[in-house]
Amino acid sequence: MMATTLLWPIIFPAVIALILFLIPRRIKLIREVLALLSSMVILYLGFSLFSLKNLALNADWLGMGINFDFRLYQFSAFILLALSGFLFLITLYSSIKMKDHPRIREYYAYVFLAAAFSNGAVLANNFVLLIFFWEALLITTYALITLGLKPTSHRTAVKSLIIGGLCDFSMIMGIGLVWASTGTLTMDAVHLEPQGLAAAAFILMMIGAIGKAGAMPFHTWIPDAALDAPVTFMAFMPASFEKLLGIYLLARISLDFFELKVGSAMAMVLLIIGAATIVLAVFMALIQKDFKKLLSFHAISQVGYMILGIGTAIPIGIAGGIFHMINHAMYKTGLFLSAGSVEHRTGTTELKKLGGLAKEMPWTAFGFSVCALAISGVWPLNGFVSKEMVFHGALETGYPIFAIAAWVGAIFTFASFLKAGHSVFFGPRSTEVPKTRESQWPIVLPILILAILCITFGVYNKLPLENFIQPILAGRVEPGEHLDFTSGALNLFTPVAGVSMLCLLIALGLHFYGWKRSGKKAYLASEPIHHLPVLKQLYDLSEARFFDIYEQGVKFLAWLSRVLFKFIDRPIDFIYEKVVVSVGRFFTVLFQKAHNGQYANYLAWTIGGLMVVLWAMLKLLQ
Amino acid sequence: MVFSFIFLPLVIAACLPLIGKISKKVIPDVLTNATLGFLLINSILLIKPIFSRGSLLQNINWFGENVNLQIALDGFNLFMLFTISLVSLCITLFSIDYLKHYGHQANFYALLLVMVAGMNGLVLVPDLFSVYLFLEVAAVASYALVAFGLGPEELEASFKYLMLSVVASAFVLLSITVIFGLTGSLSFQAVARGLQDLNAGPVLGVCLAFFIMGFGLKAALVPFHAWLPDAHPSAPAPISAMLSGLLIKVSGVYALFRIVYSVVGMTPALSRVLMAMGAISIVVAALLALGHNDIKRMLAYSSISQVGYIILGLAIGTPLGIAGGLFHLFNHAVAKGLLFLNSGSIQHITGTRNLNELGGLGKKVPITAGTNLVGALSIAGVPPLAGFWSKLIIIIALVQANHFGYALVAILASILTLWYYLLIQRKAFFGPLNDRWQQIKEAPFWMNAANIILALLCLLVGIFFSPIFKTWIAPAADALARGVQQVLMWGI
Repeated sequence: MMATTLLWPIIFPAVIALILFLIPRRIKLIREVLALLSSMVILYLGFSLFSLKNLALNADWLGMGINFDFRLYQFSAFILLALSGFLFLITLYSSIKMKDHPRIREYYAYVFLAAAFSNGAVLANNFVLLIFFWEALLITTYALITLGLKPTSHRTAVKSLIIGGLCDFSMIMGIGLVWASTGTLTMDAVHLEPQGLAAAAFILMMIGAIGKAGAMPFHTWIPDAALDAPVTFMAFMPASFEKLLGIYLLARISLDFFELKVGSAMAMVLLIIGAATIVLAVFMALIQKDFKKLLSFHAISQVGYMILGIGTAIPIGIAGGIFHMINHAMYKTGLFLSAGSVEHRTGTTELKKLGGLAKEMPWTAFGFSVCALAISGVWPLNGFVSKEMVFHGALETGYPIFAIAAWVGAIFTFASFLKAGHSVFFGPRSTEVPKTRESQWPIVLPILILAILCITFGVYNKLPLENFIQPILAGRVEPGEHLDFTSGALNLFTPVAGVSMLCLLIALGLHFYGWKRSGKKAYLASEPIHHLPVLKQLYDLSEARFFDIYEQGVKFLAWLSRVLFKFIDRPIDFIYEKVVVSVGRFFTVLFQKAHNGQYANYLAWTIGGLMVVLWAMLKLLQ
Repeated sequence: MVFSFIFLPLVIAACLPLIGKISKKVIPDVLTNATLGFLLINSILLIKPIFSRGSLLQNINWFGENVNLQIALDGFNLFMLFTISLVSLCITLFSIDYLKHYGHQANFYALLLVMVAGMNGLVLVPDLFSVYLFLEVAAVASYALVAFGLGPEELEASFKYLMLSVVASAFVLLSITVIFGLTGSLSFQAVARGLQDLNAGPVLGVCLAFFIMGFGLKAALVPFHAWLPDAHPSAPAPISAMLSGLLIKVSGVYALFRIVYSVVGMTPALSRVLMAMGAISIVVAALLALGHNDIKRMLAYSSISQVGYIILGLAIGTPLGIAGGLFHLFNHAVAKGLLFLNSGSIQHITGTRNLNELGGLGKKVPITAGTNLVGALSIAGVPPLAGFWSKLIIIIALVQANHFGYALVAILASILTLWYYLLIQRKAFFGPLNDRWQQIKEAPFWMNAANIILALLCLLVGIFFSPIFKTWIAPAADALARGVQQVLMWGI
C-alpha cells in the first residue's frame, strides 16, 4: 500500500469536518448520516492500517530537521484503531443526543477536526509535527466546551485552554532540550539516558503528556467541564481521546525517547504523581453529588493507575498501565454515555433527584453496571486484569506504599460507584422525575457495545494482551524474559488478588454503613467519610477551589497586577500625568505670554537673536 | 526644459488675470493644475539624466544673445523641484473646490504661480544675487496671498510678516554685498573658489551670522519665528499649506544650506550654532503648540518645531544626517501640506477651526478624519508612516556623531509632538458628536482627493521607505555632502 495512505486518517476527517460545517442547520438527517458513514470509513481505515502495522511517510518540509514525517507501527496503529472506534461510537450516540443542539454545525465540525488532529498526533514522527497537532487539539477542546451553552462554559473553556497551553508549553521546552542535546527532531531517532539536562527534558515532556491525560495537578478543568460541556464531549475528550493520546505519549517518552530505569528518580516522580492522583481524585469523587462530576473525578483518578503502571518501569507494570488506558477509555466512555442517557430522558444528573431507574431504563442500567464493576476492578472484567497487573508491577518496584495507594484507590472507587449506581438505578423510585422510558437505540447501542467489550477484554484478556499490548513491549525486555501476562491473569487465589477482593468487600461495607447512617438515602452514603475530622476541612478547602492551581494562579496574577498597578504604575503615571504636564504647561504659558502680538517686540527678538548668533560665530571662529 | 520651471509659471501667471475676465473658474483651474502637472512630470523626467551626469549648467539664450541668467541643477535642487511641484499640485487640486469661499480664482492662481516660479528660481539659480531676487519674488507673492482674505486679521498678519521679512532680506542683501566685496564675484562657483584662497575668518563669520538671521527668519527658526504663527493661519488653507509646506523650506532651509554647504563650506562652528538653534526651535515651538485651540495655529507652531528637526539633521554635517534632514523635509512638506489642507476641509465643513467647538467629527466625515490621522501620525513619527523613518534617521545620525544630548531632545520632543497631535485628534474627531454638527457633510471631491493623495504618500513612502531612500534621498544628500566640490564641478 502506498505511504500516502498514512495521510488519509488526517485529511479525510478534516474534509468531512468542513463539509459538516457547511451543511445548513435546518437540514437534519443528512448531517447525521454523513457523519456516521464517515466515522465508519475512518474506523475501516483504522482496521486496515492496523493490519498493515508498518508504514512510513517522509517528505521535506521546513528544513532544519523539521520534516513531514509520519510513522505507523505497532503502538500507533493500535491507538489509531482505538481512536477511530471511539469516534464511531460517539458519532452514533451524538446522532440522537445532540441533534437539536443550536450549534450542531460547529459540534460535528469540531469533533471531526479533533479526530483529524488526534490521528495526526499519533502518526507524527517528528516533534514539530507532533506539537502542531497537539496544540491544535487545544482549540477544538476549547470550542467543544463552549458548546455546553452554560453561563460558565466560556470560563471553563478558557481554563482548559490555559492549563493545556501551559502543559504544552512545558512539552515544547522539553522538546527543545531534546533537540539541543541530540540534534534531531525525528521521534524514533531519540533515545536518551534521563540524566542532567535530559532529566529536565524528561520532566518537561512528561508534564505535557500527563497534562493531556488529565493527571493531578493539571486536572482542575475536567470537573468543571463535566457540568459546563456537553456530555458527549466528556465521553469523547477527557474519557477516551485525551487519555489515549496522553498515555500514548507518556509511554513513548518513558519507553522510546528516554530510558526509564526501575527505581530511578524519574520513575519515582511518575510513581508519586500516579499514586497521588489515584488517592486524591478518588476522595474527591467519593463525595460528589452529581453523576457527571463524580465520573469526571474518576476519569482523573484512573489516570493515576496508568501513570503508576508506566512509572514502575517493569514490563508487567507498563503493560498494565497501557492495558488500563484502553480499558479505562472503554468503561469511562460507557459510563459517561450512560450518564448522558439518563440526562437525555430525565433532564438531570443530580444524584439526589434520581433513583430506581433500572426498571424503566434496563439497558442503560445494565451497561452502567458492567462498566461500573469494570472500573472497580471486579473479577472477571477487564478492569480487574489491568489493575492486577499494575498492583504486581507496583509491588515489584520494592516500594509497597505505591501498591497500597492503588488499593486505597480501589476501595473508594468501588464505594463511590456503589453510591452512584444505588442512587441512580436502584433503590426506591424517585418522585422528582416523571415516568420515563429507555433511550433510543443509537444511544443505548454504544453503551452496550462498550459493556460487552469490557466483558470480552476481561474474560478473553488473551485477545487484547497478545494482539495489542505485548507487541508494543516486544524488544523492550531482557532477552529470554517471558512476555506473557495472560497466564493467571484471572487467578483469584494469589495474595495480590486476595487483597484486591478484600478492598472490594471493605468498600461494600463502607457503603452499607453510610447508607444506614444516612437514613437509607443512597446519595448520602459517603457522608460519614465526608465528615471525618481532618477530611472535612480538606474537603471544604477543596470545594472552595483552594487546591486548584489554576484558580490560585489567577488569584496570584490578580494580586500581582494590583501590586504593580499601585506601586509601579501609579507613581509612573503620576510623573507623566502631573509632573510632566505641569512642567510643560508652565513653559507653554510662559512662552505664550511672550507672544503678545507687538511688532516691536518681535523685531527686538530678531535683533537680539542676531546678536547672539554673531557673538557665537565670532567666538567659535577664534 | 529646465527653464520651464521658472518661466512657464511666470507666463501663465501673467495671462491668468486676463483670462479671469473671460472665465471665472474653469479655465484658471485647469490651466494652473495643468501647469503644475507638467512641471511635476518634467521634474520626474529629469531624474535619470541628472543622476547619471551628476549636474547641469545652462545659460539662457535670448535671440542668440547670452543673457546673464544661469541655472544649475544637481541632485539636491532636483529633489527640491520635485517636492515643490508635487505638493503645489496637490494644493491647487484642493483649491478647485476650496476657493469658492473667496472668489477671484484667477488672481489667486496668478499669485500662487508667481510664488512657485520664485521658489523654483531660488532653487535653480547658481549665484547669490539671483538668490536674493527670487527670494523676494516668492516673498512678495506670499505677502499678497496671506492678505488674500482682506480681513483685519489677515492684513495685520501680512503686515507683520512683511515688516519682519524685509529686515531679513536687508541683512541677506548686506551679507551678499560684503561677500561681493571680498571675492569680487557673485556666482557660487567664483565665490567658492575665491573664499578658498582668502582667509577671511571674522568677516565671513559676520556674513554667516547675517545669513543665519535672514534665512533663519524665512525658515522661522526660534527666535526669528514670531511672524509665522500669525501669518500662516491667516492665509487661506491652500496658502497656509504652501507657506508651511514649501516656502519656509525653500527660502529658508534650502537657501541657507545651499550657501553653507556649497559656497562657504560647513565648519564645526557653523554646525554647532545651527544645531543649537534647531534644537531650541524644536522644543520651544512644540511647547507653544500645546497651548492653542486653533488648529491652524497649532499646525503653524508645529511647522517651526519640525523645521527645527530638519535643521538639526542637516547641520550635523554627516551624509546620514543630511539625508535624514532632506527626507524629513520631504515628509514634512507632504504631511504638513496635508494637515493644512485638512484644516481647510474642517473649516469648510464646520465653519470653525476652534478645537473646543469641534468634537466627534470622525463618524460624520471619515475621509477628513482618516487623512488627518495619517498626517498627524506621520509628523509625530509613528511607524510605519514616513515621518517615523526620517526622524529615526536623524536620531541615528545624531547618535553616530556622538550628539547624545540632541538625540535625547529629538526623542523627547517627538513625544510632545505626538501629544499635541493626539490633542487635535481627540478634540476634533473622537469623543461624542457635538449636536451642532449633526447635519454636516463630507468635504467636496477635489478637497478629499488632494487629502487622500497626500495621505497615501505618507503611507506609501513609509512602507517603501528603503528603496525610496536609497534611490532618491541619498543621491540628493550626496550632492550636498560633497560640499564646495559639488559647486566647483557644475558645468564640467
